[in-house]
Amino acid sequence: MADESLIKRNKLIIIAVVSGLSGIYLSPYFPALAAIGAIVAVVWGADAIRRVAAYGLGTGVPSIGQLALGMGIVASMFGLAIVGSVPLAGPVVALVTASVFGLITGLFAQHVIKMNIPVMISGMTEIAAAGSLIIVGFGSAAAGSYVFGTFVQNIFSSGIVLVIFWMGAMSILHPFNATLGPDEKQKRTLFLAVSTGAVTMTIIGVAATMILGSAGIITMVIGIVLWLVFYKKFWDEVYKDAASVVGTGLIPKTEA
Amino acid sequence: MAEFLLLDPSMLMNVLLIAISGTLICIGVHFVPVGGAPAAMAQATGIGTGTVELAAGSGLVGLVTASYMYANVPDASMALVLAAGAMGSMILIASAMLLGGLVYAYGVGVPFASAQVKRDPITGDTQEDYMSKGTQGHGIPTVSYVSGLIGAALGGTGGSLIYFVLIGLYSGVSSAVISSNAAAIAGMFAMGVYYVNAVIPSYGVGGTIEGFHDRKFKRVLPKDTLTSFIISLIAGILAILIAGGM
Amino acid sequence: MVLDLTMSLAVLSLMGVLATIAGALEDLESDVGSQSNPNSQVQLAPQMSFLHRIYNKAISGEPVSNGFSAVVSGIVTVVLLDSNVYAITSIAIGALVGALILGIFATTSFAGRVSSMTRFKQPLYMDIMRYTTPTIIAHNFIMNFCLVALAYIQYAILGHPFSIPFLALIWGIAAGAVGSSVGDVHYGAERQFQNSEFGAGLNTSLSGQIVRKAESGLRNSIDNVWFCAKFGGPATGIGLGLTVVLSNWPTTVIGYNWTAVLVGFGIVVLMAIIHRIVEVNIRNAYGPYKDHNGKEEAAA
Repeated sequence: MADESLIKRNKLIIIAVVSGLSGIYLSPYFPALAAIGAIVAVVWGADAIRRVAAYGLGTGVPSIGQLALGMGIVASMFGLAIVGSVPLAGPVVALVTASVFGLITGLFAQHVIKMNIPVMISGMTEIAAAGSLIIVGFGSAAAGSYVFGTFVQNIFSSGIVLVIFWMGAMSILHPFNATLGPDEKQKRTLFLAVSTGAVTMTIIGVAATMILGSAGIITMVIGIVLWLVFYKKFWDEVYKDAASVVGTGLIPKTEA
Repeated sequence: MAEFLLLDPSMLMNVLLIAISGTLICIGVHFVPVGGAPAAMAQATGIGTGTVELAAGSGLVGLVTASYMYANVPDASMALVLAAGAMGSMILIASAMLLGGLVYAYGVGVPFASAQVKRDPITGDTQEDYMSKGTQGHGIPTVSYVSGLIGAALGGTGGSLIYFVLIGLYSGVSSAVISSNAAAIAGMFAMGVYYVNAVIPSYGVGGTIEGFHDRKFKRVLPKDTLTSFIISLIAGILAILIAGGM
Repeated sequence: MVLDLTMSLAVLSLMGVLATIAGALEDLESDVGSQSNPNSQVQLAPQMSFLHRIYNKAISGEPVSNGFSAVVSGIVTVVLLDSNVYAITSIAIGALVGALILGIFATTSFAGRVSSMTRFKQPLYMDIMRYTTPTIIAHNFIMNFCLVALAYIQYAILGHPFSIPFLALIWGIAAGAVGSSVGDVHYGAERQFQNSEFGAGLNTSLSGQIVRKAESGLRNSIDNVWFCAKFGGPATGIGLGLTVVLSNWPTTVIGYNWTAVLVGFGIVVLMAIIHRIVEVNIRNAYGPYKDHNGKEEAAA
């Protein structure tokens, strides 16, 4: 599966980290950019899950998405809070903390629980890091800021953080889970990742109208447009890859 | 800031409590008898669902009851909040297993049987004769039911313990942002730590376990517990430093 | 808000009713799409050359997907409440948005899973897609409505410290957990393998050989929900309703103290006893598969 990948892992990591962080830093001026950066992080996370979960986890694919965001939420809040008077460092500290947290979890999963997945350690690190970018990215798109005080005040009291936590997990676990099978292709999975990320962005936009007013509507509209484009692209791939797409019909004859 | 130095004994205690609660959740997950997809086909003993899902469902209902108890009793004692959490969690799992058992009994028409033991360690019923051909047991025998209740109690206690520690800490800090949103932050973190500790043992048990009588139980428990303890310890340090960060 | 005992019990029973409806609809929604654990058989069947016309809604486990639709409904409801829309309208619109989003995820998982099994020649039936997806959305709408209403009652009337999306998420996860433990069994162990003998678990060698023909014509997912609505769905509803009522009843009646918690534990013990009675009854009623000499009985 990994041999026919279109986007190489290292390239994807660099793109995701750069666009994720720059989106977050631009969020006070244009919140929608933070959400777009988070969508790139979703693609990264989905690709990392794709690489790890292809080995079989023993339980469902969804668990790893939840693990990622569970680690991500604790690490991200720590990162944003600990920097105190230098909020500019917050998102970077959050990302680094999440990566270290993921690395430790990966080491334990591989060497103590003995899961025997060769890419477990790097995969877990990437997934946790992507989780942190997703939380801070979508969070600052909704709050209009990445400074801890504003961030917490805006997204915790109304419960937006729960939407980020859960939809973020869904958007990284769904692409691979939904295309699981022997003929899974990276292109189709990643198109789906953009599409699920865009759905999340749309809902974050709706939620952001409570806090940011019209800026939230902009986020929502961009989210819908992105979703339409990539949902269509995903379906194009489905039409191309499926054995046959039929309007209706009987079950074809097989040997059984 | 000084009061939040990690070396302060009360802070160390809090970190330790969070690590313990994560470990409790992890141990609790091992007790919950989940058979995964095969159990849903009456092909293996246990509840027909995934490890993480059931543990989380019950633990979070425990979190709802525990947080409501905390909100309603001024200066609630730790034991009372934890017991409320354990109660909510056990009631979910008890009714899910009771109704699930009814479906096995009357919808599918199979007696409950375990493939791991010859006789039910609690009731002494023979299991092998009641096992349908080509299966690894089916339904929820009494030993699995009791094991599930123990698991839910541990999980509910663990989840409420994180909440209890964090809300006590966050509502007392000078930062208005944290103290006014203490319930939301503590609840969110409790959920995050809960999920991490529910997923880790599910990787350890490989998705299915029958309960404490399963041979797998003894084999995987120590290493999963160690992992959970360390991971929760880190999460606890991070969560507590947040209170001092502002 | 402080309520007297009569009002508290009225509110509690309303919560119980909402949870019961939500639980029943949650299970039926998962059966329409063949979600969660029975999905493994729908996924496996084409590999065993059993091509079928059944929806393959592999969104994720039920707790995750139902928590997801409930939390989306919850946040949309909060946004509308924030702009002073009536509560009931907000909840209805919120539930609709949540259900539509779930519908989108359902279509992508059906299309994605089928197009990832090209080598088994499973066709993607677009008519199944077109008429099953709205059914999923409809079932999910009712569940979202009930759960967000439940969360609203807890938040606004009972003064729970968690926000509406948080409570909706937790009840969504709980509904999924109960649904996949209770109702799925009826679909997975009975409906999918209705042609094998009643009263036996699924023999491992029959895995993947699901029933593909209906009472008339080829079986589709709507036929499955018709069957499961007779037992699996209502049983799930009772399971979730019991959870909500019994986890709140002791504290509502007795107060927030140790006695209430102990009564709660007493309820748990009572349920364990009922479970044991059921176990003994069915063992006596059905008897062993083998007689004492280890010989297979003729019927089995």
